[in-house]
Amino acid sequence: MKAKKTATPMAQKTSWKRYLGQYWQFYAMLLLPLAYFILFKYVPMFGNVLAFRRFRPLTGPYGVSWVGLRYFKQFLGQPQFWNAFRNTLTLSAINLVVNFPIPIIFAILLNELQSLKFKKLVQTVSYMPRFISTVVVISILTELLSPSSGMITRLLKNWFGLAPVYYMNEPQYFRFLYVLTDAWQYTGWTAIVYLAAITGISSDMFEAARIDGANRFQQIIYVTIPTILPTIMIMFILKVGNLLSLGFEKVLLMYTPSNSIVSDIIDTYVYRMGLQSSTNQYSYATAIGLFSGVIGLILVSSSNFLSRRLTGESIY
Amino acid sequence: MTTIAAASQKNHIRERSLVLDIVIYLVMLFALIVCVVPFLYIIAMSFSSSEAILNNKVSLWPVGFTLEAYQQIVEYPNFFIAYGNTLIYTFCGTLFALTMMVLFAYPLSKNFLRGQSFLMKLVVFSMFFSGGLIPNYLLISSLGLTGTRFAMLIPFAINQFNLIILINFFKSLPGEIEEAALIDGLNWFGILIKIVLPLSGAALATVGLYTAVFFWNDWFYGLIYLNSSQYPVMLLLRNIVNGTTMVGDAGGVGEKASVAIAVKSAVIITSTLPIILLYPFLQKYFVKGMTVGAVKG
Repeated sequence: MKAKKTATPMAQKTSWKRYLGQYWQFYAMLLLPLAYFILFKYVPMFGNVLAFRRFRPLTGPYGVSWVGLRYFKQFLGQPQFWNAFRNTLTLSAINLVVNFPIPIIFAILLNELQSLKFKKLVQTVSYMPRFISTVVVISILTELLSPSSGMITRLLKNWFGLAPVYYMNEPQYFRFLYVLTDAWQYTGWTAIVYLAAITGISSDMFEAARIDGANRFQQIIYVTIPTILPTIMIMFILKVGNLLSLGFEKVLLMYTPSNSIVSDIIDTYVYRMGLQSSTNQYSYATAIGLFSGVIGLILVSSSNFLSRRLTGESIY
Repeated sequence: MTTIAAASQKNHIRERSLVLDIVIYLVMLFALIVCVVPFLYIIAMSFSSSEAILNNKVSLWPVGFTLEAYQQIVEYPNFFIAYGNTLIYTFCGTLFALTMMVLFAYPLSKNFLRGQSFLMKLVVFSMFFSGGLIPNYLLISSLGLTGTRFAMLIPFAINQFNLIILINFFKSLPGEIEEAALIDGLNWFGILIKIVLPLSGAALATVGLYTAVFFWNDWFYGLIYLNSSQYPVMLLLRNIVNGTTMVGDAGGVGEKASVAIAVKSAVIITSTLPIILLYPFLQKYFVKGMTVGAVKG
């Protein structure tokens, strides 16, 4: 080791022996985490073969015999699955339409705040819900909407004369409440990305707009928004790519038998079939999981490809 | 990367527009209120007497101040067990996760390392396609981890987003320092421990906080992998709220139902308190990950 003058890599030119003599310690470092990574990330990936195999208890996680596409045919013929599939897309689409623009507007308005102290306060407070457990968020929501004592139930009753309802149980409020809590939890946090983009705008641009007679509102429309448009684009494409991945844990917490007609999404269906039902239909549930995983992969990679083509940026 | 605070300066040269400013202040005030009010309500509930709750008198301030709800959860042994479990998972889980991620990220930050780009592809691919719920569950149970605390401590150590934050940070360190240390006779392990890690406080804090928050907030993996004596506090809270678990008088009707609400509120407050209290001081580290570690391979 002491013979080496420098750590500058000449990797391609040195022989393997010299190369390893110089860098074997990196591979030693990798040994444990890489084995761990393969065990916990890639072994379950191959565990998906269970979707094509019959499971028997106590014979390991990979099943006992091949059954081909039987489980796929089974769930594709199941109305419950298609209901979950529709619910997933609907909830995702509504969430995207509502909760995509809100952080952008929030970031733009935040940037327009004149008082630095107030801005800092709003930032600090609005990022915080992101770090609150979904259990806490849903528990608070349940209390606020409690038919007997909830503050919001009382407000709705006193101000609008609405009779107290068990809102958490009613199917027609489920999507609204899901989207609302997402807005509450993630608006401030998601705005960081846009705020960083707005921050990157050169003040000369605003200067020039002002000289041309643009007022602040016009500056937002003609300078701020067009400049952060690439960021908006890439965020949008990535969001579309993740259309199938909803906040599974939150949906599961909000799930009740009475709102299941709208709250049963693919992930909760997989969970109920695989881990909750008394029969533990592992193979069946794995097949559904694999199906949605592959669609998700296709969506993400094509949206990434699109993003790279259109904006030159992608996440890998 | 430009910081968010610095850019605010340029606003000061921009002219005022009264209407716009008023609208913006109102919107921001509304955002502030919406963020804070739910917590105020829960705090008020947790300190209020059951009569006040029963008569719908409580909104944002405790009515008939009492510590009864807190007394009840303190007398309930499972609460402390669950809280202790959460502390163990958060502390040990984060420590293990940081160790694994540092050992993984440091070699991956060296572009010259043979196999590095292949390993990066392996990492990135696993972000887009994963085993899914059932194969993961079957793996954990076939490893014999189900029903042991290790089911919580071991499987979640490497989070790819956090890993990439660390890799990008290590890449951003000036290579000259490492070269100098190499000449001084340190090996790569020594460089990592004595040179790189001491310079990485901010990145380690960011990644460590994200990991700690994950462990603190988890309830789902606790539900599918653990026995009830090993449950973390968030799972206990979930069970109390949906009525699976009764604490004190929780779950009763009438007078008792309002005690139940106070007890639930007290559990919400006590289980969230550490995050709410620590958050303002650690805020800069929380935000750092979002800006510094922009996810790029």
